[in-house]
Parts: sequence; C-alpha cells; structure tokens
Amino acid sequence: MKRIINQTPNRPTGLALGLLPFVLVLLVYMVASAARLAENPNDPLLPSLSAMAEAFQRLATEPSRRTGELVLWVDTAASLTRLGLGVLISMGMGLVVGIFTGLIPYVRRAFSPFVTVLSMIPPLAVLPILFIAFGVGELAKVVLIIFGIAPFIMRDVQQRVEELPTEQLVKAQTLGASTWQIMLRVVLPQVFPRLLDATRLALGSAWLFLIASEAIAATEGLGYRIFLVRRYLDMETILPYVAWITLLAFLVDILLRLINRYCFPWYGGRRS
Amino acid sequence: MSISRFSVHTRLIALTLCLGVVTAVSTVSAQERDSFRIAWSIYVGWMPWGYGDAEGIVQKWADKYDIEIDVVQINDYIESINLYTAGSFDGVTVTNMDALTIPAAGGVDTTALIVGDFSDGNDGVVLKGTDDLADIEGKRVHLVELSVSHYLLARALETVGLSERDIRVVNTADADIVAAFNSRDVEAAVAWNPQLGELRRMPDANVVFDSSQIPGEIMDLLVVNTEVLEANPALGKALTGAWYEIMERMSGDDAIAVEARTIMGDAAGTDLEGYEAQLASTTMFYDPADAVGFVESGQPLETMENVRQFAFEHGLLGERAPSPDFVGIQFADGSMLGSEANVKFRFNADYMRMARDGEL
Amino acid sequence: MSAVTAKNLWKEYGDDVVLENINLHVPAGEFVTIVGASGCGKSTFLRMLLGEETQTRGQLLLGDAPMPSEPGPDRGVVFQKYSVFPHLTALKNVMVADELASARLTGRLFGGARRRARERAMEMLQAVGLDHAADKYPSELSGGMQQRLAIAQALMKDPKVLLLDEPFGALDPGIRKDMHALILDLWQRRGLTVFMVTHDLQEGFTLGSRLLVFDKVRHDPQAPGAYGANITYDIPLQRQSAELYDEVRERVGAAEQELLKENAR
Repeated sequence: MKRIINQTPNRPTGLALGLLPFVLVLLVYMVASAARLAENPNDPLLPSLSAMAEAFQRLATEPSRRTGELVLWVDTAASLTRLGLGVLISMGMGLVVGIFTGLIPYVRRAFSPFVTVLSMIPPLAVLPILFIAFGVGELAKVVLIIFGIAPFIMRDVQQRVEELPTEQLVKAQTLGASTWQIMLRVVLPQVFPRLLDATRLALGSAWLFLIASEAIAATEGLGYRIFLVRRYLDMETILPYVAWITLLAFLVDILLRLINRYCFPWYGGRRS
Repeated sequence: MSISRFSVHTRLIALTLCLGVVTAVSTVSAQERDSFRIAWSIYVGWMPWGYGDAEGIVQKWADKYDIEIDVVQINDYIESINLYTAGSFDGVTVTNMDALTIPAAGGVDTTALIVGDFSDGNDGVVLKGTDDLADIEGKRVHLVELSVSHYLLARALETVGLSERDIRVVNTADADIVAAFNSRDVEAAVAWNPQLGELRRMPDANVVFDSSQIPGEIMDLLVVNTEVLEANPALGKALTGAWYEIMERMSGDDAIAVEARTIMGDAAGTDLEGYEAQLASTTMFYDPADAVGFVESGQPLETMENVRQFAFEHGLLGERAPSPDFVGIQFADGSMLGSEANVKFRFNADYMRMARDGEL
Repeated sequence: MSAVTAKNLWKEYGDDVVLENINLHVPAGEFVTIVGASGCGKSTFLRMLLGEETQTRGQLLLGDAPMPSEPGPDRGVVFQKYSVFPHLTALKNVMVADELASARLTGRLFGGARRRARERAMEMLQAVGLDHAADKYPSELSGGMQQRLAIAQALMKDPKVLLLDEPFGALDPGIRKDMHALILDLWQRRGLTVFMVTHDLQEGFTLGSRLLVFDKVRHDPQAPGAYGANITYDIPLQRQSAELYDEVRERVGAAEQELLKENAR
C-alpha cells in the first residue's frame, strides 16, 4: 500500500471527486427544500429547483411588469459595465503607479508608503466621503471599485517590478536603454501578464465592492436586484442571481487566463 | 451606528445564504412548548422591548405564565424579519406593510399581537430648494425601495396627481441616505427617523410630505406566528402584559418614565432629547384601550387595502400572486380582505383587550 | 592602449573593507580570468567595472576616462542567469539592441529599419550558432543556448569591454567546452577585452591570457571585515592576444574554419 500522498486518482475518478461536493450540496438543498415546501408550499426560503429555473427564465425572457425591461440583461449589462470600468481603470492605475514605484527609487520613497496606507483603508468605511466627492451615480460606484482594488494592484505590480532580476536591468543598460526604454521594453511587457494575474486575484473583491455599491444606491444591477428582492425574501430570484454572478465571475477569470496563455506564451513556461 | 428600522448596511449574499442553511433545519413548530424567541430591531417604537428585556419585565411576565421568552436584538431589520419568516423566531417587530409582504406573502401565517404605535411624522419626503411636493416631478428620488418610504412616496404622489412613472426611484440604503443627500446631485429623498431629522436640518431642505398626512397607515407591530400563538396563548398573554407594563413605566413625566426614556434613547444611539423628538412624531398607544380602539376601527382595513394594492403593483406578493387577493387578511372584527382560503395576516385585538380589561 | 586601469583602488562598506589597494593595468585585447574564494571581492570588482558600484578610494579608469557610475553600452555583460529577456524570442533579444539605439521614444523599429536590424541580428545569431532557434523564447532554449544568446546580445553593441560573471557556471562540462571555444573565437576575431569571473580554477587557468587571483593577505579573526582582498597572483597565460593569434591564423586558416563549423554544430 502506497502512502496516501503518493496516490493520485485517474482522470474519471478525479472528475467524479471534483463533482462530488457540488452534487452533495445540491442534494442537501433539494432535501431541505422539499421538507420545507411540504410544510409550507409558499415557503420563500428554499424554493424548488424548478421554481428557480422558472424564475430565471422569466427574468431573462419576460419583460418586467413594472418597467417593461428584461430584468436579467439590464442588470447584467449595468453591473458588467461598472465592473469593467472599475477594473480597467484600476489596472491602468496599478500598472502606471506600480511600474514607477517599483523602478524609480525616488518615486518609491515618495509614494510607496502612501499607497500602502491607502490600501489599508476599508473602502466601505469612507463611503460618505465618496458620496460627497463623487455623487451617488455611476461615478461613485466605479470609484468604490477602484478604491477597493487599485491599491492592491499597485502594490502587486510594484512588487513584481522589484522582483525582476537586477541582471535584466543592468543588461538593458549595457544595451544602451534609457529609463523610459527600460520601462517600455523590459518592465512593461514582463509585468503585463502579472498584472492580469493580480487582476484575477482582485476580481473577487471587485465583485464584492460592485455589489456593495449597488446595494447602496442604484436603479439597476445584479447587486441592486438581490438587495431589493431581499426585502421580501425572494430567494427564487436571489439564488439564481448568485449562481449567475458566480458563473460570470468564473468566465471572466477564464478569459483572463486565456489572454495570458495566448498573448504571453513565454510567461507560463517561465513560471514552471 | 445609526438607528434604523431597516437594513444597517451592505450585507452580502453569502450571509443570506448561510442564514438560509442554518435556519433551514430550524422551523418553528406549532406544538405546545414553554420556550420562545422574539426578535426586535432598533427603532423608536420598538425600543421598549430592549428596555423591558434589560429591566427584567419580560422575564417577570414570562415567569408569571411559566414560560421562557428570549428577546433577541437583531442589528438588521430586514434580516430580523427574514429570520422570523424562515422560522428561527416565534415573533418579530415589524411594520404592517412588511408583515404582509415578507412573512404573510411567504406563507407564514402571522398575527399582529400588539399594535404599538403608528408613524405620525416619522417618515417624510424631503426636497431640496423647494417646499412644493409637486416639484418632485422628473426628479430622481432616493429611498429604500419597496419599504414604507416607497409606500409613503406613492401615497404622497397621489395627493398631487402624480404617479411613480413621473419620477425615478433610486434604491438607497437607509444607512447611507444622509451621506447621499449631502451630494449635490441628490435633490429628493424619502426617509424615516432619525435620518429624516438629519435631512430636515440640512440647509435648503424641506419636508414636503410626511406620515402625519396619512395617520395610522404606517403601524409598528409585534407579530407572532399564528399557529404558535394558538397553541400557546400564554405567549400572547406574557408578551402583551409585559408590553403594557413597559408602556405605563415610560409614559408620563415622573422620574421613572424619564429614566426609562433615557435608557431607550441611549440604546438607540441618541439621547433623551433625541428620543423624545422621535416619540413626538410617533403616536404611541400607551393605553391598551387606545390600541384596541384603533384596531377595532375601520382604519386598519382601509390602510391594508392601500398597502396590498401597492404591494401587488410592485411585485411584493411574489410573481405567482395573480392578484392582490392572493394573500388573505383578517381584521379584529372578523372582516376580510382577499382570499379566505389563504389567510396569512391577522389583526388580533384579543390580548390587548385583556390588557385593557386587566385580565392579564 | 589600456582598457582598464585601477590605481590604489579601495572598496569599503562602512567598516568592512572589501577591496584593498588594488593596482591593475589591463591593456586592450586581454582576456582576463578572475578567480578567488567566495567573498573575496571578485564579484564586487566586476560590479565596479559594470558601474553598479563605485570605489570608495582611488581611481578606476575605462580607457583614459573615469569609469562611468552606471552601466552603459561601452561594457557588455553576461551573467550566469537572467541575462536575456524572457519575454522576447532569441531574435528579438538580439534585435533589441539596435531598436533601443534607433528609436529613443518607442524602443521599436518599423519597416526598412526593422528589416536591417533583423538582418544584423540574424548574422549575430549565426555567429553564435543560434540561427536555427531565432524564433524560440529563452525558456525553450537549453542553458548553453541561453548563454550563447546572452553573448550574442552583449556583442551587438560592440562593447570595448566584455564582462562575464561566471557565465558557464551552471552548464554541463561538455557544453562548457563548446562555450569556451565560442568565447575564445569571438575574443580573438573581434579583438575584445574580456573580464571573466569564474569559480572554476581550471577554467581560470586555461581560458584567458591572464589570470588574476583575488585573496585576503591579512586576516584578523576578531574582525573579519577589517582587511580587504588584493590581487595575490597576476599570472600571464599561454593564450595569446588577438594580434598574435591573427599572425598564426594566417598560416593555419583552413584548420580554424573547420573548428568554427564544429562550434556552430
């Protein structure tokens, strides 16, 4: 008998093992839901899977009674726009600030402690300030996401830049590169895939801040809908929305991974 | 921390789900038992529960009827109702509208055991730069969507011949509404106290409509699970008895009353003066006779008719509700609204009447 | 003509003396190998030649002028690791030198200029025997090939001085031999001045035209940092400089061509 650390499942077994927790959770849910519905057929807490599927279909295909909109798509478009804007701006800021603080000692001394402190401020704690400074519209929501994740990305990029071997920077100088050229041709292209990695890590927080911002003041969005229908415990809407958000987050993560794999073929090889 | 009848802050979905799983296994059962749990949240009309719990008054009445009552403060109003609906609690403090749209619409047969007060100016519509409600047309109005604020707004719009289509509702968390109103791009809001008081104080802000113009329509209740109450009348007696002892203690101007109100103000995050200001815009039924009179009048039926129409129009009765009649509502005199086969919300004056008649 | 001159050169970090009163004259065209125990200051000396470190006392001259205080195109370098850019293919690693020189703002060339840079880079890759791997990323190359690439890249700027910091330390012995042949060939054909730090004593003794041994003469066990290293041996080796080599090559040129082909393989 081999030690357990040396035993690896084969492919089908591995797949089955991976599915097992999902199946278990689903089963537990179905049993609990059936039990509650047997007691109270109107129980809103654990709706049946078919009720949720119906609700999801209704949200996706039938115009809403109140506004005449296809709720799911309106919410998804609004949320993804906010998330996309917030994340893209954060990436841009992270890249610029991270490269400068990572590469230029004077800039590092001037801004690195500031960025560190900035990244420690819980963004939700300064919400009233954000409201007064940026209003309560789309801008404030995007700013909240930026406030939440840009400092993290800045610090991560800075660290990645500092991790670049000195040898490379020296080598570039012996090839006659100026500081600007080193940034452009040595640092930027090497940091970019790491930026995408950092963004993947930050996306969880970005979703959190997106949903928080939509809970605070909004007229549409995935987080808005969840917090709105929470008022009458409409789990039929909430649970499919949670699944939908998870799916979207998962797809965005895969997308970033694919970008890294196809745009930076050297990156994976170097890491291994 | 702000005192509020509604959500304290951005609570995440995960929490809702966790609660869901935890409470899934713990539904209230209707059998006779001797231990009960009541949830309350911070709001002017419900502070007496916290006081009564801390001062041992609830304990005293529970002992009298030989039961145990656990009074639990929940920091998030909506969460407290959801917990009740899910079966974790036998009773909860709630407004008449939310009692209809959350537990009753969710199939939990719910009885309004005590009608403690109604909002008499505690909820209001605030506009910047004008004192005319009609100027609200075309504005983005910040409020907690689907809450009593939303209902108040709908009633306010009717009085000037407008409808919700003429404005744009922006769902804004109650904890953030004061900060939001400070922003230049926010011109209209609907809020309750203490936030309403903060908004009123801002320069250029005017309360153009408040709940004193629709008196009796926004009621603060203690509701309990109907089946639990029917199986355990002792619970109803103990709670009602405790409540009116607290009412007697806190009303009036003697030292005990002032002390009680001071404690409640502190617990609500304000002080005696702030709490009394909120009480001033609340019609408290200190005397059970007043409460019985109110519940036995035609007013609750009239109000609930408005509320259920509003709830139905906004989808609050659920997508499966084909009409406002979906949920049946029973009143103290036995009159009914909606489906008699699906009565889920009941006004009950029996226990308050016992309190009035000194039978507890 | 002198390539590098050190006069009473000291290097100290606070109270720690690393190099102590170094005097050295290296004429152009020498292949200097530097050996010494670890911590003897040979790497510090190389970093001073690079411009990464400056002396605390004395003088260090590159040609007739003081050594610049930062790395520059007049001194090429090959490190043991990380010498090439992992995000560029072999060809682009070599091309980048011309691109940086010609496009100050973008660091990239386009059109005809790009084609010319490409041709020049291909020639250089050919010279180090990497033309068949032009489109591969460094991670796809073996250790020896990576070092060939690093050498090719360093030579694109035609540096006066080529600095090698244990360049073959991580390579297998067989490959190391090939690399020796390559570097000797390039040294002799291009008339380079080479400084090579190595921890392989045999390599130090056989490869260059001159061997420097760095060591501490005095040692205080109570204060290890009190005394610095000096050049304890300065040994002329068999290997001859480019001029002499050219003379000989005139006579046996054909045989040399054979050797080159072997290297290319």
